[in-house]
Amino acid sequence: MTPAAAPSLAALPVLLFLWVSASPAAAPQAAPNNQAGAPDITGAWERVGAGALGGGQGTDPRNPRPAPPPPLKPAFLTEWQAAQQAAREATAKGQPVGSNWVNCLPDGMPGMMQGPFPFEILQTKGQVTIIQESFTQVRRILLDRPQLSPDEVDPSFYGRSVGRWEGNTLVVDTIGIKEHVRYQGMPHSNQMRITERIRLVEPNVLVDEIVVQDPVTLDKPWAFSFTYRRLPDYMLLEYICEDNREYIDEKGLQRMRLGGPERR
Amino acid sequence: MPHRRSAHPILAVAFACTWVLTLAAHHSFAVFDHTQTLTVTGTVTSFQWSNPHGFLELDYQTATGATRHYTIELTSINMLSRAGWHSRSIKAGESVTAVVAPLLSGEPGGLLLQVTLASGQVLTAPVPGADTFKRTPEKVLK
Repeated sequence: MTPAAAPSLAALPVLLFLWVSASPAAAPQAAPNNQAGAPDITGAWERVGAGALGGGQGTDPRNPRPAPPPPLKPAFLTEWQAAQQAAREATAKGQPVGSNWVNCLPDGMPGMMQGPFPFEILQTKGQVTIIQESFTQVRRILLDRPQLSPDEVDPSFYGRSVGRWEGNTLVVDTIGIKEHVRYQGMPHSNQMRITERIRLVEPNVLVDEIVVQDPVTLDKPWAFSFTYRRLPDYMLLEYICEDNREYIDEKGLQRMRLGGPERR
Repeated sequence: MPHRRSAHPILAVAFACTWVLTLAAHHSFAVFDHTQTLTVTGTVTSFQWSNPHGFLELDYQTATGATRHYTIELTSINMLSRAGWHSRSIKAGESVTAVVAPLLSGEPGGLLLQVTLASGQVLTAPVPGADTFKRTPEKVLK
């Protein structure tokens, strides 16, 4: 910037006024992707409730699972029940059936919101980002953007999420979850749609009401919710699957590789 | 705020639910014996601060004086960290006594429940559902 182009000090108040006037807080309608007026949900959170330990000691709510069984259509229900029963029997015998976790694969959606560990929410312009500490899972919720059709979305673990603030509630629509990414083993098609209503019910208590719909596999919408408490002083830790010694053997059962001289 | 009142019962129930049924961390802990514990005293060959699990590797002496190796799995280091552990909690070369839930397969490995360091300090591992692992009278691995 040349000295001639630099604003004089006298013009500073005017420039400041213009900047303030143009800021999202002053004119929310001028910037559709802002979060002016939205509740502040930025920060670390931890799920509470069935299976969650709470108290910042590390939640681990894989079981018991807080959602009811998925209301599957009969054609899918029989197979799902058989798989659940087989898993229970294998666990009782000390030979648990291998899961995605054994292979160090993340939960994806909506399992990520069950949150085995604390997670962090970041509110930035046009986007809400959720980072789950376990497996360093990241999902991005695009604000005030149109949703695509399922056929236009490449399947992924977290899908395509678009959201909007309806008053104090963040309403999120997610499609495009890979068919092998299954919460509670629920089979689904590419028509699966996850709707979330995320809101503060107390200054430090957040609720995510989730409804899963799939015209192919579900008889009716599958509704459940998670409750989280704010962790004001918590900083998320790193989680990298650096040395995964678990594996699934040829029988589909979980095993553990030993250490020792041969590994040194 | 219409939702304000309903949050209290939710939280009351949530915080009351400190009991935990079968819990899994990175994987199911069902591969470990929930009915008995084993005590292993040995020299630490490594204390591995890693995910999805930490590992404590020990060499111990058998009754005949032979050296054998035993692998002890810990929870994720995130859980250890939140429980106050850190990467320097146990040092290589240190002599420790570990109480473990042994692998059901009979292989020389187990899940750490508690470890006594050379200093005498006792560290409890933050195993989810730790109370589901039955502590039995000391049985020392020889």
